Amino acid sequence: MLEDAQSLARALKRRDPDLLDRLIEQYQFRLFRYLLHLTGNPQSAEDFFQETWLRVLERGHQYDGRWKFEAWLFAIARNLVLDWHRRRKPQSLESLAGPDEDATPFDVADERSESPLEQVLHAEVRTGVQLSLQRVPAIYREVLVLRFQEEMQLDEIAGVTGAPISTVKSRLYRGLDALKSAMQGGAA
Amino acid sequence: MNSDVHERAARLLAERRVLPLAREDEQWLATHLADCADCSAEDVRVAEALSALRAMQISVPRNLAGRTQLRVRLRAEELREHAPANRLVWAVAVMSWIFGLASAPLVWRGFEWLGGELHLPKLVWATGVVLWWAVPALVATGIVLFGHQGRTSAE
Repeated sequence: MLEDAQSLARALKRRDPDLLDRLIEQYQFRLFRYLLHLTGNPQSAEDFFQETWLRVLERGHQYDGRWKFEAWLFAIARNLVLDWHRRRKPQSLESLAGPDEDATPFDVADERSESPLEQVLHAEVRTGVQLSLQRVPAIYREVLVLRFQEEMQLDEIAGVTGAPISTVKSRLYRGLDALKSAMQGGAA
Repeated sequence: MNSDVHERAARLLAERRVLPLAREDEQWLATHLADCADCSAEDVRVAEALSALRAMQISVPRNLAGRTQLRVRLRAEELREHAPANRLVWAVAVMSWIFGLASAPLVWRGFEWLGGELHLPKLVWATGVVLWWAVPALVATGIVLFGHQGRTSAE
C-alpha cells in the first residue's frame, strides 16, 4: 500500500493526466457520495466534485504518500466546502446542511439484483436510514459516513476532519446516538 | 434491572462499533443482551441501520467523471503553458538572491559612506540598507499575490 501511495505521489507531482483520469473514474462514486452527505445538495456536490479534482491537479505535489490517497482527497473536498461556506457566511460544519425537515433524500439506487419484493423492502429501509441520516447534525453525520460507509480508520477520519482522534471517537458515539434517536423519531 | 445497567449497555454498544471492547466488557455486554430484549432489539436496529448505510447507493450525475476529466485536462494544459514563465520568475529570484547576498558588504559600505558624507546618524543609513533590501521584495510579493488573487477571482 505504502509503495502504491509513494508511486501515486510521484505521479501526482508530475500531474500525469492519465493517472488523474483513472483516479476520477475510480473515486467518482465515493467522493460524490461524501460531498452529497456534506452539502445535502446534488448540484453543490457536483460543483465541489469538479473543484476538488482541479485542486488535486494543482496541489498534487503536496501529497506525500504517507496517508491513504482517499483520506487526502476527502480532506481537500471538505476544506473546499468549508472555505466556500465561510466566504459566504462565517459558519462551521456544525451549521452546514443541518437537520432539514423538508429535505428530500437524494436519489437512492441499488444495482444489486433482487426480487421486486426485496427491492421494495430494502428501498424502504434505505430511504428510512437516508431520512434519519439527514436528521443527524452534519458534524456527526460526516464521521458516521466516513466510518461506516467509507470504512476509514479513526486516524484517517482524524486526518480528513482535522480533529484529534478523541474528538472523532466522541463524535462517532454522539452520531450513533443521534442516528438512533432520528430512527426512533422516524418510526414514531 | 435499573436504568444504569441499560445506559452502560448502550454506551458499550456504541463503543463496540468504534473500537473493540475489553474482554470483561464484551462478556458483560453479551450476558446483558441475552437477558434484555430491549437492548438486544436496539442493537439489532442500529446494526441494520449501519448495514443499510453501508449498502446505500446513490446516483452519480450523468457523465460527471467525463466532464471533470475534461476540466482537469484543460486546467493541466493551462498550468503547463504557465510553467515556463513561473520557472523564469524562480530563476530570476534565485539569481537576484545570490547577487544580493554577494553584494551585501558593498551595499553596507556604500550606505555607510553616504551616511558619513551627509552626516546622518547610523540608525538612518542602516534603515536605508534595510529598505534597500526589503522594498523590492515586498513589491514583488505584492505583485505575485495580486496576480494570483486576480486569476482566482477570474476563475
